[in-house]
Amino acid sequence: MKKLIGIVGTNAANSTNRQLLQFMQKHFQKDATIELMEIQNLPMFNKPTTDKLPEIITEMAAKIEAADGVIISTAEYDHSAPAALLNALDWLSYNIYPFVDKPVMVTGASYGALGSSRAQAQLRQVLDAPELHAMIMPSSEFLLGNSLNAFTEDGQLKDATTIEKLEGIFADFLLFVDIAKQLKNAHAANKKAAADFDWDKIK
Amino acid sequence: MKLLGIVGSAAEESYNRQLLQYIEKEFATKFDLELIEVKDLPLFDESNDQTESVAIQNLNRKVLRADGVIIATAEHNHTITPGLKSLIEWLSFKIHPLANKPVLIVGCSFYDQGTSRAQLHLRQILESPGVNAIAMPGNEFLLGNVKEAFDEFGNLKDDKTRTFLQATLQKFMKFISVVSKLDETKDQLPDEDLQARGSVATTIPDVDMSSDHWVEEAAAKVHPVKGDTYVQLDHGILTVDQIDELLKSMPFEITFVDGNNQFLYFNHTEDSKNMFAHRKPEQVGNPIGNCHPARTHEHVKQVISMLRAGKLDSFHMPVPHGPGKYVVHNYQALHDTDGNYSGINEYILDFQPIIDWYLKKTGKQLVGGKVDAVSGASKKDTVEKPDAVSSASKKDDTEKPDATSGASEKVSRQQPDAISGASEKD
Ligand SMILES: Cc1cc2nc3c(=O)[nH]c(=O)nc-3n(C[C@H](O)[C@H](O)[C@@H](O)COP(=O)(O)O)c2cc1C
Ligand SMILES: Cc1cc2nc3c(=O)[nH]c(=O)nc-3n(C[C@H](O)[C@H](O)[C@H](O)COP(=O)(O)O)c2cc1C
Repeated sequence: MKKLIGIVGTNAANSTNRQLLQFMQKHFQKDATIELMEIQNLPMFNKPTTDKLPEIITEMAAKIEAADGVIISTAEYDHSAPAALLNALDWLSYNIYPFVDKPVMVTGASYGALGSSRAQAQLRQVLDAPELHAMIMPSSEFLLGNSLNAFTEDGQLKDATTIEKLEGIFADFLLFVDIAKQLKNAHAANKKAAADFDWDKIK
Repeated sequence: MKLLGIVGSAAEESYNRQLLQYIEKEFATKFDLELIEVKDLPLFDESNDQTESVAIQNLNRKVLRADGVIIATAEHNHTITPGLKSLIEWLSFKIHPLANKPVLIVGCSFYDQGTSRAQLHLRQILESPGVNAIAMPGNEFLLGNVKEAFDEFGNLKDDKTRTFLQATLQKFMKFISVVSKLDETKDQLPDEDLQARGSVATTIPDVDMSSDHWVEEAAAKVHPVKGDTYVQLDHGILTVDQIDELLKSMPFEITFVDGNNQFLYFNHTEDSKNMFAHRKPEQVGNPIGNCHPARTHEHVKQVISMLRAGKLDSFHMPVPHGPGKYVVHNYQALHDTDGNYSGINEYILDFQPIIDWYLKKTGKQLVGGKVDAVSGASKKDTVEKPDAVSSASKKDDTEKPDATSGASEKVSRQQPDAISGASEKD
């Protein structure tokens, strides 16, 4: 069975994105194990000059390395991903490269009708940056709008059409993970490229 | 003038900080720049509200007091830094000091064009309703190759870069004054009647302004001269036909709106669909309120009232009309011989052929690296936001007025509604 990491893309204590991932964790338990990963309480990324990364970061990186794929569920703050998520991603691309060629599914929930569409669009561009270089599943936008009213008290998604859509995308994601595995020819080179990559040197 | 400079990088050693320090020093006679550090603030956490903390309250006060804000952003993973994003989140959660604040975006990077993606994201963020700042449109100041850019005294080495920065800052100061003018006059100036229910001396009475045949019906009332009848002008004598030929030969679209906000004329040289502003003959005679969707009315009113009051003599707004064009909608106040406001000449002109012709004839080139010196806009495929007065916007649920511009969002092929002209309502 595939092992996935679900990153809660906000540091808020109450989060409908966390709820969404928890729902997926349960709903898809027959198909995959999804371990939730929090990004709370990380220090603010400040481009430290030492090589030593905070331990919590290296632990997160190791889990991502070991996973078959990652789901990131992003909140939307000011039409973009929360600072806390950008912060985690900066740490996770600073001299370590756990995301390189990692299959990633992007989801998001927001209070408004648009379901974090703008944050997701920016996040995809972020994940495409050379030191993250994730393998983002294409054409698979899952937007959960009006997220405060989307769940029942016991954490079920209320709307059947929404569930159906999510099931479809998730099934595709599992396939995508398999396909991604077959695309590993360039992986070593990509890893090296990310590690060698230096913003200093490009022209 | 008091400006705030936000250092958009939490790094101990930051080139973006250095750039702001340079601006602070170099332009000390023009404005007072105070630097703010994102690294001094906690990372935003919705569930641990620190809005009332001294650090954030101080920041709030400083932003509120500032005439404008310069944000120098680094680019991390194709977007802005977490530190900068966090600062903006604090300022869009329980408090909103950036609302209607003029903002200039600059950025340094290790290589050419480095922060362009981050700058674009930042623009989108600043436009979101909780932030609601007014980023200066069009201009991108990207300082590439930053490691080579400063000398040992922290001064910018390159002359051209210095000149370009200076021009950008000058533009920003002007932008601030326009924005604040719009702000302060909004409440004071009398309301404009876009339905043209009043009249001016030249208004033709008892004709239905919204009639598709207004021109014919109005002509039946006043029997205007036409054809080869002579008309005396300041200064010359032409026939009506000659005046028509002259107006049609102008290399731009002209629209005339009178002092009563009635749309009276356009130089009809093209089919509606081929025009930048899709004017139709049957729209002539309409109150201009009929030519615009209701959502743009506030901005249209604002600009007309400023032109009428003489707060502005003209307004210019670049509007995207696709690649290879630089189309500007210009609103020029008209005055009678006594200096009284008598309406608006709106002329819509594609400057690009003029620029190209000039460059070709003189052999000159646009300077400033990859930056387009005329517009200040970068030539990349970023969609330029119209710095519109009246332009229409197509938007989602988060539509918000943009005080300077009235235009918002960045729908690329949108057709603007002209102040005085017809919109594409079809
Ligand atoms: C995690 C990380 C990601 C980066 N990603 C980008 C990038 O996507 N584009 C870019 O131009 N520079 C990138 N850089 C280089 C930064 O732009 C550079 O380090 C910047 O911080 C310089 O500005 P500063 O001196 O003000 O901090 C990245 C640096 C880091 C540490
Ligand atoms: C500073 C701030 C900015 C926000 N901006 C947006 C926004 O741009 N769009 C939106 O839909 N919701 C916005 N929200 C509301 C919700 O936080 C957002 O919808 C979020 O995606 C909900 O996800 P969560 O339940 O996981 O926290 C904002 C909230 C805060 C605190």
